[in-house]
This record gives sequence, structure tokens and C-alpha cells, in this order.
Amino acid sequence: MKRTILRRMLLACLLILAASALTFALVAAAPGNVAALIAERAAGPGADAHMIAKIGNELGLYDPLPIRYGRWLSGALAGDFGISLRTGKPISSEFAARIPMTAALLAGGGILAFIFSIALGIAGAVSNGGVMDRFLHAFSLIGASTPNFFVAALLVIVFSVMLGWVPTFGTSGFTSWLLPWVTIALFPASVLSRVVRVNLQEAMSRPFATTGFAKGFTRTQVLLREALPNIAIPFLTTFGAQFTLMIIGSIVVETVFALRGVGAFFIEAIRFRDFIGMQSVLLLFVVFFVMVNFIVDMICIVADPRMRRARGA
Amino acid sequence: MITLDRRNFLVSTAGLAFAAALPRTAFSETNDTLKIAISAETGDLDLLQNVSTLSTYTIVFDALIHYGQNGALEPGLATKWTIADDQLSIAFDLREGVTFSDGTPFDSTAAEWNLKRWMGVSDFSWIGISDAFDSIVTDGPNKLTVKLKRPVPAALLELTIVRPVRFLSPKAVDKDGKQTAPIGTGPWIVEKYDSSGTSLVRNDKYWGEKPLFSRMELKVVPDELARANGLRSGDLDVIGGDWVATLSPRRARALESDGMKVVAEPGTATMLLGYSPKSKIIADKAVRDAVYASVDRAAIAKVLFEGFADPAADLFPANVPSSGKRHDVPVRDVAAAKKILADGGWAESGGAWTKAGSPLTIDFLVSEESLPGSRRIAEMIQGQLSEVGFQVQVSSVDNATMHERRPAFDYDLAFFTTYGAPYDPHGTLGNAFVSTADSGPDGKIYVSDALDGVVKAALEASGAERDLKMQALYDWLYDNTAICPLVVSQRLWAHNPRAENFSLPATDYDLPFKAITLKA
Repeated sequence: MKRTILRRMLLACLLILAASALTFALVAAAPGNVAALIAERAAGPGADAHMIAKIGNELGLYDPLPIRYGRWLSGALAGDFGISLRTGKPISSEFAARIPMTAALLAGGGILAFIFSIALGIAGAVSNGGVMDRFLHAFSLIGASTPNFFVAALLVIVFSVMLGWVPTFGTSGFTSWLLPWVTIALFPASVLSRVVRVNLQEAMSRPFATTGFAKGFTRTQVLLREALPNIAIPFLTTFGAQFTLMIIGSIVVETVFALRGVGAFFIEAIRFRDFIGMQSVLLLFVVFFVMVNFIVDMICIVADPRMRRARGA
Repeated sequence: MITLDRRNFLVSTAGLAFAAALPRTAFSETNDTLKIAISAETGDLDLLQNVSTLSTYTIVFDALIHYGQNGALEPGLATKWTIADDQLSIAFDLREGVTFSDGTPFDSTAAEWNLKRWMGVSDFSWIGISDAFDSIVTDGPNKLTVKLKRPVPAALLELTIVRPVRFLSPKAVDKDGKQTAPIGTGPWIVEKYDSSGTSLVRNDKYWGEKPLFSRMELKVVPDELARANGLRSGDLDVIGGDWVATLSPRRARALESDGMKVVAEPGTATMLLGYSPKSKIIADKAVRDAVYASVDRAAIAKVLFEGFADPAADLFPANVPSSGKRHDVPVRDVAAAKKILADGGWAESGGAWTKAGSPLTIDFLVSEESLPGSRRIAEMIQGQLSEVGFQVQVSSVDNATMHERRPAFDYDLAFFTTYGAPYDPHGTLGNAFVSTADSGPDGKIYVSDALDGVVKAALEASGAERDLKMQALYDWLYDNTAICPLVVSQRLWAHNPRAENFSLPATDYDLPFKAITLKA
């Protein structure tokens, strides 16, 4: 067990290192001169070649790529991601201010996706080919194929503009979080509800279900007591993958609802060609992806004795 | 009946704890608060740095001179100014009884300290009066004279720009002279700012006309649709402004139909086509003349700007100082364009033109990112030129690439906009039409050796001669078809009916608040 965890941790570190090098190279290879953008912003009509060169030198833009990468990575490992070219503030302080916002968005969305996917999956399985099952099937298909910016716009128009129940944007209280949570949760909830439904159907054909029926349990009882615990591993694995993808959704959701999180910072960094900000956010995303998958793996190992034995072997 | 068992208790407690832990922005919102959308956070409003958005400076900091409607120079922290006959010094009478919002008096000492933070400093040599700065002489607490090494005809206009020319409390800096807080003499005081917005309170010690409400919230809403919905729902009172939170013409029409009030006023910046001096095809005046005659400005204004733009034939709109005589806006004439090409030695065959074996192919550089809406305009112009027989390749690039290709003249045709108030006419003319000027990422609208002298003469002229020389310059541009003005987009804002007596300030670098009253 301990060896498995250590092996997984080492693999996670290597993944993060490789991904950070790749993203650094990609961002550095993007066309355009960020020094020119900064100069234009500084001096407006008066930005000239001398000023551009000065800014480029100050930022070390003309150093070889490996040197720039090494300098950035050593700083990042020490918690110093550099200064945002757009805001002029340390990236670490931007993260400190913005990560709680993104964390709240992902946590709320994750909880909604978790609850609704299980509830809808069970409801479909209980209905088993009935009207409710078909309706939920259609609902999950629509939910999984509707872009979140469209969902967000629709929710805002109905619940904020027409009904006036919740604010259109910002974080002015608990109700202001409802629409962002629903928006970001819709896609994973739709996908996961199908995972639950299909796996429950498969579990219901397994011998332990037949035994349950033989004992006189109803279909619902067998579903909840026998089949549901047995789909934990595929559900958790898929949930982990969907949860990590929610951070991509946060880029759009934060922009649409004016939440000042990491996703919104990323979009603004791209627009301004704030390559230091972009690299830092991409590194954060990579760490998030790897960490969530690591945690899900550990939970699965703990939850499933078969996996524990297989990994230990 | 609800029973409080252990499970219910734990669930409720966890829910409350989660709700309480959510990040929230504690804006106080009353009927005495005007809520304006901004597309990006204001930043710390450091007058010498480049990271803060431009639109908030003018409500916190005052300048010596303010830019009024149609370019009229109005007293700010200076009540009177006198330019010496030799134009080598400008004497200012400073407003008496003014204090910064931290209580520090504004006097000649504070003014001199402020001016010396940027005048004569190399980082600000792009401002003419800074580049020509010689010294400052004070005479008592309310008189100050700026001495120059050479005349700067646009000096007074330069003193109206957003930064760094405005005045900061001398106490609002650290030991290294770096600004520590945005303390000015303006009508608003920054209470707090973060990435989600900026809260301001009225400066009750303001020397001028005080706002009619006590608080203003600038809320960061990057998405235009979210801003429009915020206005509809009442979460926002005002949206718009090119330098605040752009409102597109199409969205403005939609808001109008939803009962919101849309305010459109003539703009100060012209959108135009610029010609690359390195392009052999464009060097042919017949080609420039044909382009000029082929473009349907009225259609662009009506269709793409939903009527919120005015077709243009001149470099600057009439509301820019020294903008010259008006020319009639040309009506699109395909037959005339073809005749111009034929007269210029181009031969038509199968709907395409050639001259000395070269096809009439034009590379049209566009960046939607650097000029929102430009791609659609480019596609419309592409269609209009194609009807004449031009083969137009639209190169749609990102902002950074635009900033590389435009200064390198790596295009035949490209969009430009003049700088607008308060930077014009000297800003655009000095940078975009002089071959030796280093205009950095902005590139040049048109340059030639012959034009250099004409521009120089216009920019260096003063007094009554200035308008004559300016007109000579505009005539040169017109006669040589050196530019192809398209439209002047209107300044577009929308407000909730709750905000009454809405009026726009002189430039889009200012935020609207004067005279506005808020209905309960």
C-alpha cells in the first residue's frame, strides 16, 4: 500500500514536470511580442521601439527558452510564480485571492453533480424503461450536449431578468452562487447520471441481485442495498474525471457570471498575452488534474479490497 | 414536523458553514449608489504605472486643465494659464483652497512635486511637454510656471490626458516615491478595490460640482451579455463606453427594445483604412482612388453599426480641435472605381484586373481582438472591393500578431483608428503620419517623404497659423488619397431608467456621473 502510494506520487510529480515544460514551450512559441503590448498600454500613442526593447530586456524575453523555463520553474517551486504582466501584482497573491472563488464554484458544482447524478441515475433505474427513464435519458443527452455559456444565458434570463430571484452576476450572497453551480454541474451530472443508470442496470443482472430478489426484496431495495454499493468504483473514477473537467468549465462560467476566480484570470491573461499568468494557471490546472486523479485512485484503492490486493501484488 | 436528530443537525450545520465560507463581495447597495459596469478591474490607479484601467483616474485625480466638450479647455486645478510669446513657458494660476482627500493642501509645492515626477523623465518622453521640459518656477503658493526648451504647441492639450499628468497627494507615496494610495483632489475617493470591483465614496471636500449621490460601485463584468442582463435586472445602472465596458451596437438595439435607455453621441475617433508604404500595389494612386470609391461607408454605418456610426470622409470628426474643413462623404460608385483603374493602366479580364502581369490582389490585415467588430467590416469591404474586381485576402490575426505585422508594414490594407479625444489631433498626426516617428506597435496610417514636411509644419505651427497649416495637411492627405476614412463610431452607453438626467462626459476616458440622479 505504502509503496503504491509512493509510486503514484512519483508518477504525479513527473507528470507535472513534463506538462509544465510543454505548456511553457507552447506559450513561449505563441506569436506576438508581449513587450509591445505592455509598451502600448504604458505609453499609448508614445510607445516606441526603445521602450519595447527595454521592457523585453527587463522581462528576460530575449534569453534562451531553457533559461527562461528554469528561472520560472525554480521560482514556482518556491511559490513565486512571478508578476502578472496584466495586473502588475504577484501571481501568488492573485492565486490567493482567486482560488477560494474557484474552489467554491467547483465544490458547489461538484456536490450538485454528485447528488443529482446518483438521484437521477437511480430514478431511471427504478423506472427501468418507463416514462421517467426515457425522460431522464433525454434530459441527460440534452444536458451533456448543451454548451455551458448557453445554459448560463438561459438561466440568467429566466431566473434573474424575468423572475428576479437571483443576481445576474457577482458574489453578493448565497443565492448568487445558485446559477453558477447549476451551470457548471449540468454537464457532469448529465454524464454521470448515465454512468449510474447503465452500471445499475448491469449490476441488477449480477447474481447478488438475483439473490436479493429471492430473499423477497423489492426492485428498489435491491437497487439501493445491493447494486448501488457495487457501482462505487466506476462511478468514483468517472466522477473524478468529470470533476477535473469542471475546471475547464469554470473558465466560461466565471467569465459569464463575473466571478473573479482563476478561470477568469486565465481568460484575461490570454487576451493580454500575459504569458507569466498563462503559464502559472496552466501549471495550477495540471496540478489540479493530477491531484484529483491521485486522490480518486487512493479512494478506490481504499474502497475496493480487490484493487488493494492487485496493487499490492 | 421536523425533528432535530443527529443527522439533520450535522447536515444543517455543514450547509450553513459552507454558505458562510463562500467568498462574497460586501458591496453596500442603496438608492444612493450608482452601479457602473467595468470590463476589467481598475487596479491601484498608480499615476506612473501602466497596469490600471484608464477610465477611473479622471474621477479621482484632477489635472491642471480639463478637456471639455468639443475640445474646449476648461479650468481644472489651474484657474488660468498664460503661454509666453516665445512659447517657452506656461504660467499657471493654481486654484486656491483645494485639498487632497487626505487633507493635504494643493499648492504650488505639491504641484511642482507632482509635475517633476514625470516631466523630463525619459519614460514619459512620448509626451511633448515632458520631452521639452526645462524647469519649474514657483511664485508663492498659487503660481507656478513651467519652462520649456522648445515650443510645444499641443502642450495644453497634453495636460488634459489621463495619466501621468494628474495630481497625487505628496503624502501618498513611500520613501522611494512609489504611489501607495490613490489620493487625489477629484470628486470621488476610492474606498476599496479588488478584482471584483471598486467602491468609491463622494469627496465632500471636492472643489467643483459635487455628485448628487454618495456612493459609486464599479463592478467588474467582463462579459458583454452579462452586463446587458445586469442592466435589465437592475443589478447595474450604467454600461458602455469604449474605455470602460464596450457596448456593441447590436446589443444597444436589443437593450432599447427591452426598455433600457441608450445614449449615443458623436464619437471622437475615426475608423479608417491605412495603406502600407511598402506595398507596390498600394503605391499606385489609382488603386487607392479605386478603393476610396468602392467602399460603401453608409452601408457600414447602417448595417454593421446599426446606425450608431457616422460615415466619414475626413481624418478627424468635427468635434476634434483643429480638424479642418469638412469633405462630402463619397457615395459608393463601382463604375467610377473601374474607370479609375482602367485610366490608371489596369486591364480587366474576366472580372479580374492586372497591370504589367501583376494581379490586383490585396492583403487586408484584421484583428478582431484589437478592434472589436473589425472582421465583419473587413468582410463587407472585401465584398464591396470584389465587386469592382479586387482580389482581397483577409488576414485575420490575434492582437499580438497585429502588433508585429502592422509596425512592419506587413500588409497592403489595414484598419486604424485615430486616438480620439483628448489625444488628437497631435497624437495621431505625430505618430501615425511621420516616417521618422517611432510609433511602436501602433504602426503608421500613411507615410511618405513628401508628407513628413507637411506634418511637421502643421504640428510646429501655433496661433492663427496652426489652423492654416493643419488644413494644408488635411488637403494633402485628401488630394493624394493617403487615407480612406470609413466611419466615426458613436459613443455608446445604456442606462437603467432608474438613473435619470444621464449625460455623457467629454471623452470616453471619463465616467459618467455628473447630474445623474437615482430614482428609488
